[in-house]
Amino acid sequence: MASTGLSSSGATSEASPAKAVDATPTKGGLVVGLLSYQDADTIGLVTTAVREGLACHFGDLASRIVLVDSGSTDNTAARARDALGGSGDLLELSPPRATVDLLELPYHGIPGKARALHTILATARDLEARACVIFDGNVRTVTPHWIDWLARPVVEHAFDFVSPYYPRHPFEGALTKGLVYPLVRALYGVRLRQPAAAEFACSGRLIDHFLNEDLWERDGAQVGIDLWLATSAASGDFRLGEAALGIRAHHARGEKALDLGTTIAQVVGSLFADLENRAGRWQRMRGSIPVQHFGTSPATAPPQSSSVDVERLIESYRLGYRELRDIWTWVLPPRTIVDLRKLVDGPPAQFRLDDELWARIVYDFALGYRLRVLPRDHLLRSLVPLYSGWLASFILQVRDLSAEAADQRVEDLAAAFEAQKPYLISRWRWPERLRTG
Amino acid sequence: MRHNDSTRDPQWYKRAIIYELPVKSFYDANDDGIGDFPGLIEKLDYIESLGVTCLWLLPFFPSPLRDDGYDIADYCQIHPSYGTLDDFKRFLDAAHERRLQVVIEFVLNHTSEAHPWFQRARKAPPGSVERDYYVWSDTDTQYGDARIIFVDSERSNWTWDPVAQSYYWHRFFHHQPDLNYDNPAVLQELLRIVDFWLELGVDGFRLDAVPYLVEREGTSCDNLPETHAVLKAIRRHVAERWPHCMLLAEANQWPADVRAYFGDGDECHMAYHFPLMPRMFMGLHLEDRHPIVEIMQQTPAIPDVCQWALFLRNHDELTLEMVNDEERDYMYLAYSADPQARLNLGIRRRLAPLMGNDRRRMELLNSLLFSFPGTPIVYYGDEIGMGDNTYLGDRNGVRTPMQWTSDRNAYFSHADPARLYSPVIMDPIYGYQAVNVESQERDGSSLLQWMKNLIGLRKLFPAFGVGGLEFLHPANRKVLTYVRRHGTDAILCVANLSRSVQPVELDLSAFAGFTPVEMLGYTDFPVVGQQPYFLTLGPYGFYWFELQRRDI
Repeated sequence: MASTGLSSSGATSEASPAKAVDATPTKGGLVVGLLSYQDADTIGLVTTAVREGLACHFGDLASRIVLVDSGSTDNTAARARDALGGSGDLLELSPPRATVDLLELPYHGIPGKARALHTILATARDLEARACVIFDGNVRTVTPHWIDWLARPVVEHAFDFVSPYYPRHPFEGALTKGLVYPLVRALYGVRLRQPAAAEFACSGRLIDHFLNEDLWERDGAQVGIDLWLATSAASGDFRLGEAALGIRAHHARGEKALDLGTTIAQVVGSLFADLENRAGRWQRMRGSIPVQHFGTSPATAPPQSSSVDVERLIESYRLGYRELRDIWTWVLPPRTIVDLRKLVDGPPAQFRLDDELWARIVYDFALGYRLRVLPRDHLLRSLVPLYSGWLASFILQVRDLSAEAADQRVEDLAAAFEAQKPYLISRWRWPERLRTG
Repeated sequence: MRHNDSTRDPQWYKRAIIYELPVKSFYDANDDGIGDFPGLIEKLDYIESLGVTCLWLLPFFPSPLRDDGYDIADYCQIHPSYGTLDDFKRFLDAAHERRLQVVIEFVLNHTSEAHPWFQRARKAPPGSVERDYYVWSDTDTQYGDARIIFVDSERSNWTWDPVAQSYYWHRFFHHQPDLNYDNPAVLQELLRIVDFWLELGVDGFRLDAVPYLVEREGTSCDNLPETHAVLKAIRRHVAERWPHCMLLAEANQWPADVRAYFGDGDECHMAYHFPLMPRMFMGLHLEDRHPIVEIMQQTPAIPDVCQWALFLRNHDELTLEMVNDEERDYMYLAYSADPQARLNLGIRRRLAPLMGNDRRRMELLNSLLFSFPGTPIVYYGDEIGMGDNTYLGDRNGVRTPMQWTSDRNAYFSHADPARLYSPVIMDPIYGYQAVNVESQERDGSSLLQWMKNLIGLRKLFPAFGVGGLEFLHPANRKVLTYVRRHGTDAILCVANLSRSVQPVELDLSAFAGFTPVEMLGYTDFPVVGQQPYFLTLGPYGFYWFELQRRDI
């Protein structure tokens, strides 16, 4: 999972006041929502690509581009207007601001993202749009094809939700590969490989459903909203698809990347927080189904952005075992602790964390989060060494594999999460304290 | 503030799990020995952790408290012992913040004699609108066919008022004069009160003693068409402005008579199923499912928007009005050998003492409560197996302070013990040092933890709240078996009512090919075939199975 973003301190809005939605006919058409914050370097590229994509692929559809800027001070909105040549096609809206947006730190995304997304979706509903496509204003690699690949399944093939798939080096996006994807797939029964992506397309029917969901004001919505919309779609009676868009690169809003502990606390915390709200649904889902794929295949494998020091990951695991084992005993059963102990002393080259063991660890942490056996942030941060251990094991297994074989390895892991799902359900339904005293 | 869930789902009550509590008994925040709204706010985290979704508050209005608050002297204020209106608003916001709905009492049959309406009426000239807020007579013989409800304390439904120089009508205590719904001004007053509380944000009302609103000569004065007309008028009023508002009728009647309180879905949303409760106790003691199955088979269908309210115990006695004389004798012998436990036509005891503190029997009855068609109501303290004190008079023995810890006063209040509104339970079995929330929260195998798990499980399956009910009829009558269905969901419930292990063969051929998955442990059982499905159950054991089709 990318750790990107910029500190939101000092942000003041330069956007125009929210306008009433004008009467330009969009009924049955397409709304493209752009979310931005300090994206002057990229918003022109994104806006141009959207405009060209609409003209090229959906010229016969009424369409509107809606920009919701969250208080940029770098002329982001002006750059977007310039990119459209002052044609007046850009509908600029300001999301309601709240102090809590600035308090949800550290967070390196778009301040008030949930409110910004809500603004776009509510506008799309008011305009009676057939589909809505969301883009983040910080993407550098967007092309006019993206809008076609995302929106066409909704507009022409009655899909309700289309999530992007961005090819990544086998070591990149590991938190998604090792936890988010397997967990979402096992629980909700759909094989969306990158379910927390910033870009997506949705149908008018799903927009209504999203807007009726009780998730916009939840604690942590700023961080979790992308993932929650995907699980919301997966939990309902909707058709889901996936569009391969090619490589995604973006400009970083943050001065420096978030540390792993914070990233895990935010991403995994969002995922766990969502489980309780949808327990009645995911406990009835059995197995999983592949989603239909759209888009393009990458011509070349994406380059690795940084080298990974496996020995350092293993050392992090070992240190975690020594320092956090007592914490883990609050959520992990003795059998798991014994299995983890076996990994401490072995040679690094043979370091392997079994898929089913990893799945049970994640499930036990989800249950510990639900039952609040420890302060939630402490609990989530104590997962970091275990994740490091899993990552080291994963890299050792895939570093000599082809991209396809590495992808298959992720699929095998996801299958293990599915196989262990009854373990989670039984403990979720009838939890017993793992440790007394 | 979080959005109030009841406004998002107008039929929230069908999926609710209700927790009934008297504010005075829950937690005392100002050390005066009486529970209050600030105290209740402090304990909302506990209620939320229990998993219930709705609070039903017993009367908290200004009152002389001669009937524990059901004698109301001011409908739009808070009894000063319990706090202020601002405290109530803070409580309401805090409850909604936790996604808890709040249902309050609406005593519309009668007021306290201390109510200004009555004080005005007794001095007003006969025939005036003010006088006619109540029911008056020159004799005490009118409506002679109406039974006396509180037979242990009242000799007549009429009492002479020396100020008015007339008799006034009361179906309950003599200090609770009945309102006169033949006077249109009365209904208008009550609708204003409804609006007042709904404006504040409450989610519904428990309508107390609804069968007795109107009187007619030559009738029992119970369940009259004119009474239903009043309730329909109230429903119309709330439906127009407050579509999320739920009306729960207290009508201690036979199911066929209670059915009328649902109307065509245009009267009350919910009503208690009074006759079911004693029959669950009877079936358990007889070790025979017959009383339970029989009463459910006599229960008529109700409109889709309506729901039964189910309970094991509440703030009143275990009423035996809706059983015949033989059944009543049996219940007295089975559950109240001590005459001190009897009151009116009932037994004033909590669940745990009725069950002889047998954990398995408490669990079994709760499994029935949570799996029968309707919305379950848990009475405060029963989730930890609190006891009672039958020597406290009236029904006060089941309204003792909540037992939070083993500290002084059960940590209900920091006041001197002598100041408490009621003594805490102190006997060796049920006393607060043995039975309290703190110890059960720390004990992973406590009744409290069990209840939390059961409540959580129930909430996962809408079929329990809204599904249909079909009984199976295996040869062994000690085993009660039924299927709850909703859409494609089917849940098989099997309960052993006896103290010994029981075998049972079930005809599940309608589910051939299905896999029963035991719900508590998510354990697959053998696939159902055409042959009888054989199960054994431990003493007072029960199973809930999801019947899953694996081929789709």
